[in-house]
Amino acid sequence: MRIDAVRAAPRRSPALHWITQNIGLILVFVVLAAAIVLYAGIYWLQQDALPGNFELTSTIDNTMPLAMSAVGQTIVVLTRGLDLSVGGMMDLANSLAAVHMKEGPGSMVLWTLLVLAAGAAGGLCNGLLVGYGRLQPILVTLATLSIFQGIALFILPDPGGAIPPAYTAILVNTGQPYALLYLVAVGLFWYAFRRTAIGVSVVAIGNDENAARANGINVIRTKIIAYTLSGFFAAAAGLCLAATATAGDATSGNGFTLTSIVAVVLGGVSLFGGRGSAVGSLAGAFVTTMIVNVLFFSHIDPLYQSFYEGLFLVVAVVLGMAIRRILKRRRS
Amino acid sequence: MSGGTPETAATPAAGHPRLGLTRDRRRILYAFAAAVLLFVLGEIVHPGFASLDSVEAILTVATFVGLVAAGQTFVVLIGGIDLSVPWVLNGASILMVTSSLGQDDRAAYGLVVTLGMGALAGCVSGLGITVLEVPAVVMTLAMNGIMEGLTLGLSGGLTCETCASYAPPLVQQAVHGSLLGMPTVLLLWLVVIVLVSFVLNRTSFGRQTYAIGNNVMASYLAGVNVRLVTVLLYMLSGIFSALAGIVLVGFGGQASLGMGNPYLFQSIAAVVIGGVYILGGRGHYLGSAAGAISLVALISVLMALNMPEYGRSIIYGVVILVLLLLYGREEAER
Repeated sequence: MRIDAVRAAPRRSPALHWITQNIGLILVFVVLAAAIVLYAGIYWLQQDALPGNFELTSTIDNTMPLAMSAVGQTIVVLTRGLDLSVGGMMDLANSLAAVHMKEGPGSMVLWTLLVLAAGAAGGLCNGLLVGYGRLQPILVTLATLSIFQGIALFILPDPGGAIPPAYTAILVNTGQPYALLYLVAVGLFWYAFRRTAIGVSVVAIGNDENAARANGINVIRTKIIAYTLSGFFAAAAGLCLAATATAGDATSGNGFTLTSIVAVVLGGVSLFGGRGSAVGSLAGAFVTTMIVNVLFFSHIDPLYQSFYEGLFLVVAVVLGMAIRRILKRRRS
Repeated sequence: MSGGTPETAATPAAGHPRLGLTRDRRRILYAFAAAVLLFVLGEIVHPGFASLDSVEAILTVATFVGLVAAGQTFVVLIGGIDLSVPWVLNGASILMVTSSLGQDDRAAYGLVVTLGMGALAGCVSGLGITVLEVPAVVMTLAMNGIMEGLTLGLSGGLTCETCASYAPPLVQQAVHGSLLGMPTVLLLWLVVIVLVSFVLNRTSFGRQTYAIGNNVMASYLAGVNVRLVTVLLYMLSGIFSALAGIVLVGFGGQASLGMGNPYLFQSIAAVVIGGVYILGGRGHYLGSAAGAISLVALISVLMALNMPEYGRSIIYGVVILVLLLLYGREEAER
């Protein structure tokens, strides 16, 4: 297929080429735009005004934990793996921050770094087990999910603790959408990462592990780095979650294992590895939040929320695949 | 086992019989040995742990896991996975009480409706995976959400008038009673073990399941109706989740929200402990059943030790990792 693409390239306009290469990314941004328009429309019907700064800020703040966890999940999914321990790591980061972080810049910086290091260390364990242990990622991370959840409960048995208000103001400022800066930073990180040797290796082993190995890529090292990064981003997501909740809860991260996968899938990343972008997953995370917002404002019984989310997930995946198939057919 | 069985398709190293057993059968033996070991350990730390009553209680709890693991085994054998277990099970338990209204003459109707719901959920998952080509992880994850939304929405968050109904006394008695000197639940599980093992090992449907798990393309070219078999397997998984829901609600009397949540992790863990290969094509239900018993025995030992929840959670994960390192490793790269 790749040979076809090379042969066909001269006959095709650069614009069309770019579109077919980035179709997953384009689709998710179209969906996101549609969701935003729908949300604004319903909001306008209900409130006689367009959503303003407050809505923008709260949407971004609420999406931060999911967005961060989705970026880590993307890197692992690109290697054709899956990280189910994301939720457990978020619990762990959440409870560590809630128990230990105190007012004052010293404590906040120290514990931010320690929590991120803990996340990277947890991810490193996953990576070592998957890489050197040659174990199935889904099973390894299912086991470490349980372990991380256990450690989180040990640190913070009952919901409680407190996050310094200053920390919340820095990470997820409720007044202004400063959190956008972190998203931009993550996006820039992604574009840099994608161009490093490791970034290329991640995509290469996701496409064809044996071919990548035959071409001299260190598969084990790449996997270890991918899982370590996932743990790191999961810890960052846990910090965001703690900052939004302003208190700790050793179980509040659990749901993010599955929603991070949803965001990744909506973001156009292939679960079969090798295809996709973390920027798409960031957009996918926002699509997820927007669906909840739309459902909320259209006065749909919140009890049915998971039903619509599940339905939307299937529809989005099927539509994405159908459009990709049509484009592929036109190419050949 | 003779021609066409999964063992022969495995790597040469797997073919060397040790103790005159194939690798798959050794793993089943290990899982049972682990269960026995745990009972002995339990008796040492907590005398009375291995008494007949206590063993019976543990096996009863293991039945719930084992029933769900039966469905999970079916789909894992073709390299799939069923993440919709929690809310299919929970929905089934609520549908059972709301459709039968705790009346014996409606019990049969309730059973049929509930099992049918499980089959329908599995059928939709299977069709999504085969016809729409959605990855199994995504499809069953979405199905879990769909079932959660429907269950919560239709029952008003379990506040509906009929939601507080009890399971029909007939079902409750059946679950708690005993037959031929054996608790009915265990008898039911025994029947399921025999039936599932028979279907997998002695019927063409079972052979086709293993064939798809080993190589989808080859089985398709050999004339296996891959789509039909896949849909049927997911339907079976849905039915077994629903069955577990019925037995659970018969055991506890009333349905509650979240009662299905532990069973996703536990069913996958049981399948893994039992030596079923997560990418499909190898393994037996007897192994998953042994896995369910040793898993529940482990939980019970930890409970007997007054281990707090965090400790159980950590040990759970460590045990699975150790088992994986013992026999879940893939072949080294060439």
